Amino acid sequence: MNVLVLPVLLPLLGGSVLLVVRRSAARRGVATAFATATLLASLAVALPTFRGQVLVAQMASWAAPFGISLVADGLSGMLLLGSNVLALLTVVFAGSSLQHAPVRGGSALLNRARDAFGAQALLQFLFMGVNMSFLTGDLFNLFVAFEVMLVASYGLLLLGGELPQLREGLRYVVINLVASSLFVAAAGMVYGLIGSLNMADIAERVAAHGADVRITLLAALLALVFATKAAVFPLGFWLPNSYPVPPAAVSAYFAAVLTKVGVYALIRTFTLMFAGQGALVAVLLALAGVTMLAGALGSVARRRWRHAMAFANVASIGYLVAGAFAGTRAGMAAALYYLLNSVIVIFVLFLVAALAERIAGRSYRRHGHLGAYPWLGAGFFVGALALTGLPPTSGFVGKFALLQALLAAGGPLHAGVAVAAVVTGLLLLYAVMRIWREFFWGEADAVHRVAIPRGMSAVTAAAVVLLLALALFAGPIYRLSERVAGQLDGNAAYRAAVLVPDAPPREGAH
Amino acid sequence: MELLLPLVASLLIGAGVFLVLSRALIRLILGVAFISYGVNIAILLAGEGERHDAPPLLQLPGPHNDPLPQALILTAIVISFATTALLLVLALRAYQVTGTDHVQELADRPDPARPVVVYADPEYPSVSPEIGTANDVDAGGEGADT
Repeated sequence: MNVLVLPVLLPLLGGSVLLVVRRSAARRGVATAFATATLLASLAVALPTFRGQVLVAQMASWAAPFGISLVADGLSGMLLLGSNVLALLTVVFAGSSLQHAPVRGGSALLNRARDAFGAQALLQFLFMGVNMSFLTGDLFNLFVAFEVMLVASYGLLLLGGELPQLREGLRYVVINLVASSLFVAAAGMVYGLIGSLNMADIAERVAAHGADVRITLLAALLALVFATKAAVFPLGFWLPNSYPVPPAAVSAYFAAVLTKVGVYALIRTFTLMFAGQGALVAVLLALAGVTMLAGALGSVARRRWRHAMAFANVASIGYLVAGAFAGTRAGMAAALYYLLNSVIVIFVLFLVAALAERIAGRSYRRHGHLGAYPWLGAGFFVGALALTGLPPTSGFVGKFALLQALLAAGGPLHAGVAVAAVVTGLLLLYAVMRIWREFFWGEADAVHRVAIPRGMSAVTAAAVVLLLALALFAGPIYRLSERVAGQLDGNAAYRAAVLVPDAPPREGAH
Repeated sequence: MELLLPLVASLLIGAGVFLVLSRALIRLILGVAFISYGVNIAILLAGEGERHDAPPLLQLPGPHNDPLPQALILTAIVISFATTALLLVLALRAYQVTGTDHVQELADRPDPARPVVVYADPEYPSVSPEIGTANDVDAGGEGADT
């Protein structure tokens, strides 16, 4: 059996088993075991790709353009490994947090009901969809993977049925259904015009087809869909209110990984399938600058922990898209390094927010918690530095490389986005400084001593350690990003690996 | 056929967009369903464009339609069926909790200070004993915040 199918099949099996496990402790054990196994499988996939290999599995041995291919290149490997590390942490955190009240004064009953009614199983199905999105080499299969991911996320967002969940869930579901309709229409039209759904084959045929306004329109349609999923301005208005409503572990994973799946799909669309769409890339670059500013302003404006963090997530999406669509290899390398940084830093900040909500409620205007919770303060401090991009954290490395790449690319648009990036950094600094002042600093109004469950604090500490490791091993990881960026430039290895030259000749009229 | 199907597809998508923009939940759901029907017809048209020879293993007289778009539509229909069912349940639940099916009123409804757990029958909360009891609430209340 090819190792490429394991990161998809293991969570599917895990989710199915979890549906029939009755005892809560047993569910936690099974979920952790499956998440660990998936992490090991994704490590087995990722390590060869980091050495420059492109792994391919043709489903049912149908040669490339006919069957569905699973493909792992460096980009897939990086994202697969990163998301599965977070998946394991999420499962452990959820196992602990679902036994306790979500916020101070809340009821543990609702969270335990969520656990009993399949939150852990839905998480596994979510991981399946995410892993499949990173591995598939087929446009329609990408749609199916998105749907698996989204349906699981609808379940997780709505499970519990509180009023904010129903209200925001409705918005989230409708937005995603409309975007999915556009996606499936785009996939159908790509097949109608180009005659293939295999991404590598699409790339070959688009290159052979030459410039055509219909191809630009298809690329624009796909960009619209993926930008909606990635919450790029102005399509990201659904995100900041909907991500804070599910339970803590779930919203941390949503914010850290789900939007990045949209960014991944954007990168695949414009480096592999529809390469050379200069005008659309410029539009996305400009939108990235606006996305950063919108996210940072929103983060300054909100008074609730996870709402402010959700806006910070939008800002980091802006940085990612700016790097990925700067049009240079250096920009892509910076974006890939920043991608890892952003995934982990957003995860850390959401976990810190979850612990703070448990201590003092949803708002951060509480004052004076540093004395009672020094380690929480330390975790927030590291996360805040990495978010704003101050040395010595990984955020600094990523943002410095990003600014360098944007300025080196030249042109007024790149310079404008670089200015927006700097302004965004300052705004984010203001936002996190205010949280620091209003929650950790100052005279204590009324500090409640709340016992933090060991599982929750251990996972938060592990995530902070990951973030520090990303800064400590910045050299090797950045070199890896550069290598992957080189691989994405042209994607020759990807295409050669998927489309084996001695495949049987194509039948049919094309 | 050449003109009729594109017209139907665009009519369905247009009606769907109009309904999605309206403010009653049930219209919104119908709109989402209409959009997906229109998209399905559009995909069908994408496959109809070119006439193909007989499929590789069959020796039937051609020309044939490309069967792949129909497989895509089948997948899309299954998915949109499931998500429409989910959306209907969600709308029903939202109506039960808030008493309104108006999108704007739903959006303006402030968050409750405490999570509200509504049971169909308050005498017998529908929670199994392994989870806990309705009195299992952490001490302390939540202050006002913005």
